[in-house]
Amino acid sequence: MDDAAIRTEGLTKRYGDTLALDGLELDVRSGEVYGFLGPNGAGKTTTIRLLLGLHKPTAGRAFLFGVDAWRDPVLAHRRAAYVAGEPFLWPALTGEETLVYLARLRGSTDAAYRDVLVDRFQLDTDKRVRALSKGNRQKVQLVAAFATRADLLLLDEPTAGLDPLMEVAFRATVLEAKERGQTVFLSSHILSEVEALCDRVGILRRGRLVDQGTLDELRHLSAQAIEVTFEGPAPELPPLAGVHVDRAGPQALRFEVTGSVGPLLEALAPHRVVALTSREPSLEEIFLHHYDAADGRV
Amino acid sequence: MSDAARAFARRTLADSRVRTLSFAAFFAVIAAVNVVGYRKTYPTVADRIRFAVGFGANKSIRLFYGVPHDLLSVGGYAAWRAGGSLSIAAAVWGVLAAVRAMRAEEDAGRQELVLAGAIGRSGAFGAMLVAIATGGVALWLAMFVGLVAARLPAGGSAFLALAVVSVVPVFVGVGAVASQVAPTRRLALGIGSGAVALAFVLRVVADTSSGLEALRWATPLGWVEELRAFASPRPAVLLLPLAAATALLVAARAIAMRRDVGSGLFHAHDSAPPRDRLLGSPTAQALRGELGILAAWVLGIAGFAFILGVISNSISPADIPASLQQQLEKLGLSSITTPSGYLSFTFLFFVFAIALFACSQAAATRREEAEQLLETLLALPVGRRRWLAGRIVLAAGASCVLALLAGVCAWAGAAAEGADVALGGMVGAGANALPASLLFLGIGMLAFAAVPRATAAVAYGLASLAFVWELFGAIVGAPSWTLNLSPFHHIGLVPAQPFRPAAAAVMLAVAAASAVAALAVFERRDLTGP
Repeated sequence: MDDAAIRTEGLTKRYGDTLALDGLELDVRSGEVYGFLGPNGAGKTTTIRLLLGLHKPTAGRAFLFGVDAWRDPVLAHRRAAYVAGEPFLWPALTGEETLVYLARLRGSTDAAYRDVLVDRFQLDTDKRVRALSKGNRQKVQLVAAFATRADLLLLDEPTAGLDPLMEVAFRATVLEAKERGQTVFLSSHILSEVEALCDRVGILRRGRLVDQGTLDELRHLSAQAIEVTFEGPAPELPPLAGVHVDRAGPQALRFEVTGSVGPLLEALAPHRVVALTSREPSLEEIFLHHYDAADGRV
Repeated sequence: MSDAARAFARRTLADSRVRTLSFAAFFAVIAAVNVVGYRKTYPTVADRIRFAVGFGANKSIRLFYGVPHDLLSVGGYAAWRAGGSLSIAAAVWGVLAAVRAMRAEEDAGRQELVLAGAIGRSGAFGAMLVAIATGGVALWLAMFVGLVAARLPAGGSAFLALAVVSVVPVFVGVGAVASQVAPTRRLALGIGSGAVALAFVLRVVADTSSGLEALRWATPLGWVEELRAFASPRPAVLLLPLAAATALLVAARAIAMRRDVGSGLFHAHDSAPPRDRLLGSPTAQALRGELGILAAWVLGIAGFAFILGVISNSISPADIPASLQQQLEKLGLSSITTPSGYLSFTFLFFVFAIALFACSQAAATRREEAEQLLETLLALPVGRRRWLAGRIVLAAGASCVLALLAGVCAWAGAAAEGADVALGGMVGAGANALPASLLFLGIGMLAFAAVPRATAAVAYGLASLAFVWELFGAIVGAPSWTLNLSPFHHIGLVPAQPFRPAAAAVMLAVAAASAVAALAVFERRDLTGP
């Protein structure tokens, strides 16, 4: 038995001239919450479509619990539930009818937990889908997916359109799923959400996984931010390898240091420093670092 | 017109260009083919007199083309044949164009974006009308060119084309009102198609029942006949479509200015107690979704078949002089002079209609994918093969119901009038519609699997082309091997003609092979968005 909930081998997808996904190697362990980050058009939704066997890989393979998602999608989907970024549901069905229909197609659902979720997400299930706002349609999808208690939840920007209260409800629900040992694959733009929920994070850029690891690992590999205030006007420092300098004020400089801070400290030694602060980069900074690199701004 | 309104009108026009150009090509070809065919088939005055005496009185022919006013001149014949059939096409185009511009865009949520820009409701309404009117002018021009190319005089051709296109503004008005009243594209299209069907039935009744001729004034399709192009033109009749169109468009505009964007005058019920029926499988749910459409088809087919049955009783051999029997023999219509023979011939109409129903099911299958509902479905433990097979079975089953219903209702109509028509024969006539219908279903589904975005175009296009070729191919003297290309050419119109089992078997075999190929191809492709 394969203990990886999601595994991809050289997963590649080409649409005409566009290379949407380029040799993706993913390994999401059973029971972990995995954050999948990337700017628009990086290939996140393409990845999920390949993971679900909705699109055919140009090369490589995708497995859910060891089952090839393209060759045997029905078996693969038995242990997975999906929440799409854009909620496409049957406009003429009510919320209740939609939940019943989706549960029947899946084969089983936890009715008691479903009712808990309907309450938690304050869903009016008598309303027809066509009369629901985008956020409310999103809630229908979330309730349906979490109520199945599937071993793997594939969530594609699931909180787009939810208000802050519902965002809180969503986080609580993900943590409950994690406690039960379910695996969550969370593709998201909301960095605070990923930071709060995810054990590991992967960053996708132009169809390639450019960084992956726990938040601590990513921080370690990423630039540290150091801000230095001088007694007089900020001096000109010689260029240093792995150090990026920005002016932070008339008497202050901000450094982004990749690797050791030793050379920077040596370069600062001759100057009169009044204050030096250093902090770990936030996920946002890590993300922006990769994002900027994609645009050639670093 | 403001820049914004101009830009919006151009967008609306571009949206419908494929459909409008297809209709325009159809208009030009049908117009030219009828003229050329008449000259070729009836070269002498004597031929034409014989033809006029026979066909002028024949009610079954009137069903499709209306009442002829002058069958001795080429122009009069063109006005009858091309005018009678193209005016129906023009009505359909008018409804489709209006609903596409005025409801479909809004149903898809795009209209909010337009109205949030530098264009008001009034400006948008005007711009849509300008775009639709441009399409209507294209239809007029196409028909005019088709007639003139076949060497008819320009003045008469212009008037005939105008007479046919006169139904466009009326049915654009109908479509516009339907679009304001109905909250969804589907309902608006349903109301519009219902109006076209009603107009057609009124014309059929007026043209074929003695004593009810006055009903012709109650339908825009009848006005086209009363314009009497090439026979004794009566331009004053044009005031009728003008008045009707104006009234409808004024009403539509008034509603458009008052109602909420994104909803119709009649609100759909937003809340409902849950109903669990037909939610057990994707096929059951598809049936649930299609029930309204199916009911409309059932009503339309049953009602029309019943009316034809009633009319059939008024058919008698006395309608056709003996000298014409030979001519009819040539067209394969020798037994048309009995009620049962008449119904056999008219069932070619149901063969085509039920084939179109099959095409509409292929198009609905594609729409489920284009609206990305299929993505939601296939992310669940639902197999592609099972899903598509379910849709095919559903469409085939519904086609069977419609076909048998047509036969039974035609018999019931005839029996109600005491006509000598056997139930078994009419059930056979209905069942005989199935091979062609299933053939186009198979082809439509294969198109869905192989070229998803072109599903509707391929299915409707091939079925219409094959039918038109069957109606007109022989008239223009096309070589027989090209006539054989149309599946409709191989249908024995039972019970008058013998059933052709070999042709039916070939059609069913191709249908089955296409369906199997569709399942295999669909399993190998990416889901394709709108």
